[in-house]
Amino acid sequence: MKKKLVALTLAALMALSMAACGGSGSGSGGASGGDAAPADGGSSAAGGTLQVNIWDNNQLAGLQQIADEWSAESGVKVQINVVDWDNYWTLLEAGASGGQMPDVFWMHSNTAQMYMENDLLLPLDDYIAADDAIDLSNYYEGVVELYKRDDNGVQYALPKDHDTIALLYNKAIFDKYGVDYPTDDWTWEDVYEAAAKITEAGAADGVYGYALNSSNNQDGWYNVIYDYGAQVITDDHKGTTIGSAEGKAAMEMVRKILTVAAPQTVVAETGTDSLFNSGLAAMITQGSWMINTFYTNENSANYAWAMLPYADTNGNGACDAGERYSAYNGLGWAASAATAMPDEAYSLISYFCSEKGQKEQAQLGVTMGGMKGISAEFANAFEGMDVSAFTRAEEEGDLFFRPYTRNTTVWEDALQQGGAFLPAWQDPSDPAIMEAACDNAQKIIEDAIAAE
Amino acid sequence: MKKKMTEAEKREARWAYLFVAPTIIGLLILNFYPIFNTVYQSFCKTGDFGKGNVFVGLANYSKVLAAGETWQSLWNTIKYALIEVPFGIVIALILAVLLNKKIAGRSFYRTIFFLPMVCAPAAVAMVWKWLYNTQFGLLNNIFHSKIAWISDPKIAWISIGIIGVWSIIGYNMVLFISGLQEIPGDYYEAASIDGANGLRQFFSITVPLLSPTTFFIVQTRIIGALTIFDLMFMVMDKTNVALPKVQSIVYLFYQYSFTNGNKGYGATIVMVLLVFIMALTWILQQAEKKIVYHA
Repeated sequence: MKKKLVALTLAALMALSMAACGGSGSGSGGASGGDAAPADGGSSAAGGTLQVNIWDNNQLAGLQQIADEWSAESGVKVQINVVDWDNYWTLLEAGASGGQMPDVFWMHSNTAQMYMENDLLLPLDDYIAADDAIDLSNYYEGVVELYKRDDNGVQYALPKDHDTIALLYNKAIFDKYGVDYPTDDWTWEDVYEAAAKITEAGAADGVYGYALNSSNNQDGWYNVIYDYGAQVITDDHKGTTIGSAEGKAAMEMVRKILTVAAPQTVVAETGTDSLFNSGLAAMITQGSWMINTFYTNENSANYAWAMLPYADTNGNGACDAGERYSAYNGLGWAASAATAMPDEAYSLISYFCSEKGQKEQAQLGVTMGGMKGISAEFANAFEGMDVSAFTRAEEEGDLFFRPYTRNTTVWEDALQQGGAFLPAWQDPSDPAIMEAACDNAQKIIEDAIAAE
Repeated sequence: MKKKMTEAEKREARWAYLFVAPTIIGLLILNFYPIFNTVYQSFCKTGDFGKGNVFVGLANYSKVLAAGETWQSLWNTIKYALIEVPFGIVIALILAVLLNKKIAGRSFYRTIFFLPMVCAPAAVAMVWKWLYNTQFGLLNNIFHSKIAWISDPKIAWISIGIIGVWSIIGYNMVLFISGLQEIPGDYYEAASIDGANGLRQFFSITVPLLSPTTFFIVQTRIIGALTIFDLMFMVMDKTNVALPKVQSIVYLFYQYSFTNGNKGYGATIVMVLLVFIMALTWILQQAEKKIVYHA
């Protein structure tokens, strides 16, 4: 009997450890992004190769080209591994806990504070002070601030880029159904009316006027909330006004648009960018980091960008200050505190963030710069496609920094799902569901911040 | 009444230990250490990056046990197992019996049916995801239907279960074939002489003599199915309406432990699964005595 009990316990425990392995296994499976990458994405200085992790495959070719130039000067090889967004953070956290982080990697507003507070990143202050190529005043303040630790003011990452949001539309669809193209003077109401016409006329072809998933936050409905005067996260990062009257008015606008947009089940399975590229959605909102995906599409001649619509909250028929907002965010280049080659790691970061590296990044069309004053290089990178809507968004409209708290993912994921906005996305015909969703969202964010 | 070991036996035992040492060390480090760490973490409010754990007693347990999503996910997992285990076994058994006969192209068919087992689970899931797509999927295209295979909460769990069955058939089949080859041919000869037809032979000879293999497969597959994670994770988007009705308990664990970074809560979810699997395994072991036929 005793023996049996032991066997039983062991069998069950084995199942338990299988579960654990299943979880972490899938993380590292995505990690290598192909078999070529070494199993330990960690500080493998022995071979004289810096391991670099990023999450955006669109940027790989351009960044590798810049990194290769640095390699030619320094004699140190650079291996860039792409890990998709979700698994990137799983892997980085596992690496941080186990002391196996890549040498150089991207940091993001979602988790930067947590990594900095736990001393996992290489402090850059001394390096920056000794480096002629880097002057922090040349970069976007919001991005510089983001990677500065709250309590001691140490800089842990340099601004790699910044991004804004714009409205993307397919001229061929507008032509086909005889609807006027979006302009920079459009309000969200105008978007609704155009989307309604196209969705109705295009029903037989399966064409939708608009596509927006509940997960399109930074590049979607967050912007509407700020247009109407509410904030997803308040300036002190300690609260939210998403459940306020302004927040509800904004989400009511979103709800109206959803009634004439692609149904939630469609966007959850296919993705708004795929729908757009398949010619099945006339308008979507997208971030500047996605331009290349659309620029290289075979139908790109039909694609055009307009500034994000605004909300005419004072009803005077013109766009005033505070009525047109675009989210902006900036990634940072950070190095592992435990890297075996800190000098080389900083040298690479400095090369990426120097004026030369930033200009090259813009010219190659990788992303807009983290350094100010190089927007022209970026706009010219896409011959035949006018992407000035992204730079005009910051000149003519207002910017808000992508909402973040210490552990952003907890509430950010919850907002997209069943307890918050998903039911309203599923059934946009009922305003009461959206209103309740705003109240739930308010509570989710407040609870999450309280638990941080 | 143990006999004392002779010197030669002792020497032999030392070598034996040396040879099993790599496996034992591997188990200790890769399985046992994580297991006890998981148990410990389930009593903690875990800090960032595995540092600064604070002991909180049963706080995680009271939260996990009170959460509706825990029980919903456990039920989802059971529903998945109810599809994968019986269908995966019955279909595999039929295939194994057919492919155990001397037919032309036997190894070709065996290879075909085993192929899903060789494919990377992530790749399998991606292919099925597109087969199931409501707008552009091959299935809806062939049947001229508009079924939301993976977005309709009523059928999404069946769709996921089908992928599970498809993936596991080949593996179960190979185990069954090896079990079938253990059965002596004399029994079938004798039965034929006595006038038993193929069907009668199958139920009176094959099924009982195969029952140890069957039981082994049932037991391992139940545990395997209850720890399912990758299918839901790969096939369904986070914003999929059907996800709460399909996500497995390991998926929930992944969500809390790795996405939200709340390892203590995640560990507690796994402890619930552990208790459940232990209870089920105990029941199965009791049943073994009654069901399994030992020749």
